[in-house]
Amino acid sequence: MADQPDGTGKVTGLTRRELLRRAGVGAAAVGVAGSGASKAFGFAGPHKFTGRWLKGDLSILQWVHFVPDYDTWFNNTWVTTWGQQNDVQVSVDHIANTQLDARAASEVAAQSGHDLFQFLAPPAIYEDQVINHASIVHEVERKVGKMGNLAKLSTYNPRTKKYFALSDNYVPDPVIWRHDLWYGLGEAPTTWAHVLKAAPKLKAIGHPIGIGMSNELDSNMANIAMMMCFGSFIQNADNQLTINSKQTVDALKFMASLYQQGETDEIFGWNPASNNQFLYSGKGSMILNAISATRTPEDLHLPFSDNLFIWPIPKGPHGRLGLEHVMGCYVVWKFAKNIPAAEKFLADLCINYRQATTASKLYNFPSFPGAFPFKQIYKAAAADTHKPHGKYTVLTKIAEKYTHNVGYPGFSNAAINELFTTYLIPQMFAQVAQGKMSASDAARAAQSAMKPIFAKWKAKKKI
Amino acid sequence: MREKAATYLIVGAFAIVLAFPFYWMGMTAFKQTLDLFNPANLPFSFNPAPTLSNFGNLFHSTNYPRWLENTAFVGVAVVLITLVLSLPAGYALARLSGRVGGSLGVGIFLTYLVPPTLLFLPLSRVISQLGLQDSLYSLILVYPSFTVPFSTWLMMGFFKTIPPELEDAALIDGCSRFAALRRIVFPISVPGILTVVIFTFSLCVNEFVYVTTFISSSDHRTLSAGVPTDLIRGDLFQWGSIAAAVLIPSIPLALLYNVFLNRFIAGFTGGAFR
Repeated sequence: MADQPDGTGKVTGLTRRELLRRAGVGAAAVGVAGSGASKAFGFAGPHKFTGRWLKGDLSILQWVHFVPDYDTWFNNTWVTTWGQQNDVQVSVDHIANTQLDARAASEVAAQSGHDLFQFLAPPAIYEDQVINHASIVHEVERKVGKMGNLAKLSTYNPRTKKYFALSDNYVPDPVIWRHDLWYGLGEAPTTWAHVLKAAPKLKAIGHPIGIGMSNELDSNMANIAMMMCFGSFIQNADNQLTINSKQTVDALKFMASLYQQGETDEIFGWNPASNNQFLYSGKGSMILNAISATRTPEDLHLPFSDNLFIWPIPKGPHGRLGLEHVMGCYVVWKFAKNIPAAEKFLADLCINYRQATTASKLYNFPSFPGAFPFKQIYKAAAADTHKPHGKYTVLTKIAEKYTHNVGYPGFSNAAINELFTTYLIPQMFAQVAQGKMSASDAARAAQSAMKPIFAKWKAKKKI
Repeated sequence: MREKAATYLIVGAFAIVLAFPFYWMGMTAFKQTLDLFNPANLPFSFNPAPTLSNFGNLFHSTNYPRWLENTAFVGVAVVLITLVLSLPAGYALARLSGRVGGSLGVGIFLTYLVPPTLLFLPLSRVISQLGLQDSLYSLILVYPSFTVPFSTWLMMGFFKTIPPELEDAALIDGCSRFAALRRIVFPISVPGILTVVIFTFSLCVNEFVYVTTFISSSDHRTLSAGVPTDLIRGDLFQWGSIAAAVLIPSIPLALLYNVFLNRFIAGFTGGAFR
């Protein structure tokens, strides 16, 4: 793109071709203005994403990023420069990740709010409330190449042929473990069997495992990923419910054993920051989390930060199948006041995602891999000076090979979205771990609870 | 003597339990970050020297002074609205509505029990229609929906403890109903009114659901939304600054409660003994 914010505040000049295009569109606009075809002036016209004629305000709501440097870059560099280049006054509001769902419900109820709203999981239940983001996807693909499969499975509804969100990024979800503690026991979390073997020993020396079973994002991710490693899936590739399976029972039994032998009661009351806090306290020996869990100890110079190792999710009987930790999904509400600016903002952000990935200290990976190819991210990770040197290079492998969408092998559809935001999976795990249900009863109960959810969204023709 | 010792023992134990959060908050507010995060350090004392940096961070790197102002502004406004509505309502229910008054009082109290987690969705629409999004006036409009019912119910009970003969005497002496209220009833009701003031202000300071739903920008937040949103960056809890942020407003509130403790208790128990 000719006029991208690059962090320097510089704006490149208009090319002759660009000038001619704008002049042509301007003439066409004058021609149709009298006929009341106002849409010709909007995003849908031939003038997409060239910017500069955009005016007005653009409001964005997103989370308080787990890597504070990202928000600094986003607010002070990206947004400022983009706003200046496009004559748009951009305002960004940040709220805690736990408040996002309630806030979205409130904006939809009011049919008023921000132009751009960022979710941290695929928001399929809001499909009717948002524009089709396909044109943004196509524009970004035209510049940097295909959208990654993970992002497509997370934001596209094959039934309605609609992109109900635009994913700018996803976050790999590795296992983070204390090498000094595990090494002393002669173990490493290569497989879930090894984790179970080491867990009682780690707990005995005062350093339990920290995988949550609570109504929160991290528990959701960790529990579903573990299920997949055991060959248990919520749905199949045709979006049919498959939770009640022998594999689910095996995963539930395994997790119950892991809790009894190597965890503490704390994990039933966790919030999205608890596993990180557990690690920072010096107590935790292993968690499943994004790399904010290693970045913060580095920034705080915690005594064990050099001993925090990053590995792919442990291998289970069915293989090594992980989830993204966070799926950044922007939506443009239908009631947004400045849809053209919102669309161009998103397109420009995705096209220039190299800056975002760097600003996030490799926390955010681009949903369009061409924006910052894995090989280049690998090089950036290798240049990281924190000990052990090169520990972040494994992220590219995790992102490329072991990261799947919620609802894999199917799409992240509305039913998956609903059961994800109502935390049915961690509740199922907790019931078994606390001895309130047998594993097979819990799997059956989960199937019963999820069946009407799938039926409801099928009836609405969203699946 | 033995009885006294037992009393002191029980009260002392309670005092320690109740004061402990304040002690912990005070220690944390003055601790250095590394002191807080190092598991080898004794948590009940300062390992590296105490610091004021957490307070500095609050006042120089966040909108904390603005949150204090916003909280005070909303709190005072809501207290005034609540007093204006709940005093006459409580009086009318106690004196003027006969048998229906009691049932109405219970009905009003029941509306207080509808949780904000249910109400915020329909109220979002109202706030949007009024164009009050991201405005402190949205809070001033909504907060009385839970402060007025409780305060009305509280004042109703309190007014019932005041003998009607006092007002009758005033009326016979030529006072109007309003003058009797102003000169006789309200001065006697100071404990109840103080209770309403303190209770309403505390509710405004503590409220979380509406303020996080209706307010978007940091400089329009009140304390209860600003602290958890701007001082918790994902997994990075700025514990020192959080403790300092909570410690500062809790001191005047604690003093206020302490000064008016007897009247506060009298206000709450006013309707209990007749």
